[in-house]
Amino acid sequence: MEDKEAYPDCLGLLPKLEKEQAKKGWISEQALKRISKETGIPISRVYGVATFYAHLHTEKQGKYIIEICNSPSCYLNSSLNLIKFIEKELKIKSGQTTKNGKFSIHICSCIGCCDKAPAMMINKKVYGNLTEEKVKKILKKCR
Amino acid sequence: MQILKKTNLKAFEKAKKLGPEGVISLIKEKGLAGRGGAGFPTGTKWEMVRNAEADERYVICNADEGEPGTFKDRMIIEKNPETLIEGILIASYAVGAKKAFIYLRGEYTCLKSKLNKKIKEVLSKAKSDLKIEIFVGAGAYVCGEETAILASIEGKRGHPKVRPPYPTTYGLFGKPTVINNVETLTNVPLAVMFDDWNKDTRLHCISGDVEKPGVYEAPLGEKLSQAIERAKPKGKPKAVYFGCFGGCMPYEKFRDLELRPEKVCEGECMLGSCTMIVVSEKRSIVDVATNIAKFYEFESCGKCTPCREGTMRVLAMLQNISVGDAKPEDIDTLQELAEVIKETSFCGLGQTATSHLINALKFFRKDFEDRIKK
Ligand code: SF4
Ligand code: FES
Repeated sequence: MEDKEAYPDCLGLLPKLEKEQAKKGWISEQALKRISKETGIPISRVYGVATFYAHLHTEKQGKYIIEICNSPSCYLNSSLNLIKFIEKELKIKSGQTTKNGKFSIHICSCIGCCDKAPAMMINKKVYGNLTEEKVKKILKKCR
Repeated sequence: MQILKKTNLKAFEKAKKLGPEGVISLIKEKGLAGRGGAGFPTGTKWEMVRNAEADERYVICNADEGEPGTFKDRMIIEKNPETLIEGILIASYAVGAKKAFIYLRGEYTCLKSKLNKKIKEVLSKAKSDLKIEIFVGAGAYVCGEETAILASIEGKRGHPKVRPPYPTTYGLFGKPTVINNVETLTNVPLAVMFDDWNKDTRLHCISGDVEKPGVYEAPLGEKLSQAIERAKPKGKPKAVYFGCFGGCMPYEKFRDLELRPEKVCEGECMLGSCTMIVVSEKRSIVDVATNIAKFYEFESCGKCTPCREGTMRVLAMLQNISVGDAKPEDIDTLQELAEVIKETSFCGLGQTATSHLINALKFFRKDFEDRIKK
């Protein structure tokens, strides 16, 4: 009825993947294999978990991962214009990474800052009440 | 705000004097119920875990508030972490857990280190040997579902599981587990401590087309218009969305509606955790519906077919309608599809993914018809 497959370190799997994500900005095939070995969890399941979550990336990302919220409260506060603006500034589309490997853009679900909509995160740091000028300044600081 | 009152471990002291059974009956007496939306009596849940036969028990604090438009957990964690931690202490004491987890959503990672510091402080002050671990999620709306949280902590894809067995008897690693959300647990010490603690106080998160978005405290049963006016709508409100899952209703028609779970249900919406997103009259509901459909298409966990494939089809059809590429009969097909998804999906996510659309087609059908090719 219930799958009881308890691996010795299943509790550590997601934290390990997150740590790798935070350190390297993405999780490579090599890293997946290493984590599988460390935890004793089959690679298939490690890969399954890594591809389930929006914040874990199994493809190489830019140094700065920009996640812009497009859920209703942000949408009602012009998040679409903002997304277009950032895409134009960085000359890439959402889901892509700049050639110099600096930035990746992703559209994401609500980040719990709807009282400061529109909002985004860059490498997990939250920025709210965004305007084009504000975004320009923030991006400049990253460059 | 009641929720921001401090108890400085006095509630925990009192709980220890009452003994585990004593606290549970006090919580029952005070009428504390889960604030996540389902409203299950907290004391009863604790009792079930306490009475379940096991060598180990766990407490999990659900801090995965992913419902769009909701941000009160963030406020509580920022402004009153001590009381939340004290709530976890009391819950663990009552059910006999030696280990507790806070499942913090990935989007709140920036709150982690401060919260960890507070945990250390409070535990050492309380001289408790309870272990509280913060477990950070990685961005999946479905992980707000309690069985998906369990899967996520156990190092699996965060898919919901069949219930029963319920987590109260077969939870984390198969052990009896209490899962309460942040707002519920923060209310625990307040309920234990204060005679004038009011069980009918609710936190409203209001955002969208308003001048003053924010968290507001209000009594249960307040009128919809009172709640919305507080946040100063921009222009005339056209519709109110109760988060994404709770559905929408026309504002003018329901302005006198009492905000109580039973009443809101009659209006065919779910009050859930009192999230309200205001949409002003200058908007077309078709656009809002398309935006919400995108959210569900992205967040469907993929375990079951009606939700995985259905949310995709709903989005495609809405996009067709929004660009004026649909025929009149497409609206009926969309409605039928929305109902099938609601009836046949496996978990709460899919079952509620189209309530917004079903309501929109009922109350704002004209918006859809206006976009149909003539
Ligand atoms: S209804 Fe959706 S979220 Fe729930 S199990 Fe099915 S696919 Fe997953
Ligand atoms: S809707 Fe964008 S942060 Fe909540």
